[in-house]
Amino acid sequence: MSALIQLSIANIRSFVRDRAALFWTFAFPLIFVVLFGLIFQGGSTSIKLAWVDSDASAGSAALRASFASIKEVVLTDEDQATATDQMKTGKVDAIIEVPHGYGASVAAATAAGGTPTAPANVTVVTDPTQATTGGIVQAVVAGVLGAVNQGGRPPIVTANVTTIQTQNLNIISYLVPSILGMALMQLGVFAAIPLVADREKKILKRLNATPLHRWQLVGSNVVMRLIIGIIQTLIIVAVGTALFGLQVTGSLILLGSLVVLGALAFISLGYVIASFAPTEDAANSMTSVVQFPLMFLSGTFFVIDQMPQPLQVVARFLPLTYLSDALRQVMVNGTAFSPLWFCFAVLIGWTAICFGISSRFFRWQ
Amino acid sequence: MTMIAASLPAPRTASSAGPAVRVQDVRKRYGAVQAVDGVSFEVAPGEVFGLLGPNGAGKTTTVEMLEGLRAPDSGQLEVLGIDVARNPDDLKQRVGVTLQTAELYPKLTVVEVLDLFRSFYKRSLPTNQLIEFLDLGERRTAQTRQLSGGQRQRLAVALALVNDPEVIFLDEPTTGLDPAARRSLWDLVQKLQGQGKTILLTTHYMEEAEVLCDRLAIMDHGKILALGTVNELVARRFKDRSVRFDEIAALDDDQLKALPGVESIKHDEGETVLYTQDVPATIGGVLALTESLGVEPGNLGIRRPTLEDLFLDLTGRALRD
Repeated sequence: MSALIQLSIANIRSFVRDRAALFWTFAFPLIFVVLFGLIFQGGSTSIKLAWVDSDASAGSAALRASFASIKEVVLTDEDQATATDQMKTGKVDAIIEVPHGYGASVAAATAAGGTPTAPANVTVVTDPTQATTGGIVQAVVAGVLGAVNQGGRPPIVTANVTTIQTQNLNIISYLVPSILGMALMQLGVFAAIPLVADREKKILKRLNATPLHRWQLVGSNVVMRLIIGIIQTLIIVAVGTALFGLQVTGSLILLGSLVVLGALAFISLGYVIASFAPTEDAANSMTSVVQFPLMFLSGTFFVIDQMPQPLQVVARFLPLTYLSDALRQVMVNGTAFSPLWFCFAVLIGWTAICFGISSRFFRWQ
Repeated sequence: MTMIAASLPAPRTASSAGPAVRVQDVRKRYGAVQAVDGVSFEVAPGEVFGLLGPNGAGKTTTVEMLEGLRAPDSGQLEVLGIDVARNPDDLKQRVGVTLQTAELYPKLTVVEVLDLFRSFYKRSLPTNQLIEFLDLGERRTAQTRQLSGGQRQRLAVALALVNDPEVIFLDEPTTGLDPAARRSLWDLVQKLQGQGKTILLTTHYMEEAEVLCDRLAIMDHGKILALGTVNELVARRFKDRSVRFDEIAALDDDQLKALPGVESIKHDEGETVLYTQDVPATIGGVLALTESLGVEPGNLGIRRPTLEDLFLDLTGRALRD
């Protein structure tokens, strides 16, 4: 046990004394948070929505007021054709269309004993090339509709996009979980590089000549990465909260277990890379090859629903998709396209498979 | 320097009976290469034993099998009476190892690396004692990447001594070191031998083998070509040593043959060579004889076949540095 602790301390010391590793682990995700935070915090930047009201009822007016009450949202009333033009020229970020009959259908549903009818459908049009904005628009829409739909009744209004139900919607709330997921992914995948370096330098072989057990070696590696992952989470959440009013509404225990599980899933993926990378350089390139698709296809920067169909299929297999999604759900406390248990199951499955592969193929010398 | 030995609570007696190391007909193949091809030898407790041979001779593979790092294809390996294949964990508690490359946790300090390794063992020597013994005091807080080659190698030896091992394996301990660092490492090995440690080292330096090893095995192509003390090895192959001096016309062969120890006489390009079993007696005889004749033996000297001669003779090629 003492060997495990000493080795974890040795790993942490080596890590802390490596400035490049420190930067990528702590500064890089923080830069993302601060950058996005500043972009969406500043008064000059706002989400411009074209409001196309084909209903003109009391219900649609109430919905409009809900959108207008959000600080970052600028609403302009347009007809369908003008709105589409403005969207094409980039004057608005998205269009929200309220269909004819919306007010009646909401009124019917909210009337005493409200008979569940088919929910009214609000169409949200976003530009797939403006993915980050698109994601924020969706989050805004989901927040507003969530407020309208409050309570556990069948939904009155739905949008034909993913909905995130939240009482505390904030634009940064969409991004911080994504950035946290990305940071945990990098932390884990990068586990490959020092491990391969230690093998190349024959450090692993030297350790193998001592009574140290392999589980202690792997364990110390995992312990060190988990500690770093938790520190990363604290820093990212703290900065998001302090500077940009992020509010974590979900259970902290659930958040903690997601962080640990997410880190484990990607550490095990790092071990798979270490199993097949013959040299430190090879491990470096393989890490890049693995991390970029994860970064770009997992809903971190581009909203999955707006990606081309084949890429959406790929995204459904990536663990980061589920980690980011689950983090978002827990931190923002809404429902999303997959229930939480499924995210956990996917992450556990990835972890088990990756550890299985690496324990079969990893070479110690 | 008995510091390390003195620190032991009680001497370990488990293996006093048999050899410290026993290798019996061991073979190991990598693909098409038979790296070790039926090697057998024993090392007695307290002995410094050397495996001498060129790169690729199978020395490192042999040592790494003894360290439990590689499994042999066939044959038996025992260290301190422990079957290496069956109880590698028991073995690793009681032996010390240096590998050919001495790079270790570049960003940790000397003290940190020593403390780390101490945590791996059930019993270990105090860090300060190790640092003092290996003369690393001035570098104790230096990161290992800042150490010189010699210091790094001394740290590697310190790590091998952390558990106060009974048997120490040193793989090419002085390769790449400058002459001064090499000397200091030799002193260290001799100090350890003085404490009763059993040491098995590999080397491709003749001089190192001659200075350090009580006995040695000459290896090439995975086989042991010769085994014994340096003197035995040389004497076995080249029966006699020789005394030579510039030819003196006044001396005849009968007089020379009568000198003590002389086996045979050769005249060669102006020099006289006396093959002898007893060099001092023969030289004494030559001096007495020439003095009685009032002449001086020019360039009187001993010619002794070296390990280099032996190796050349055994393998048909010279060892390179």
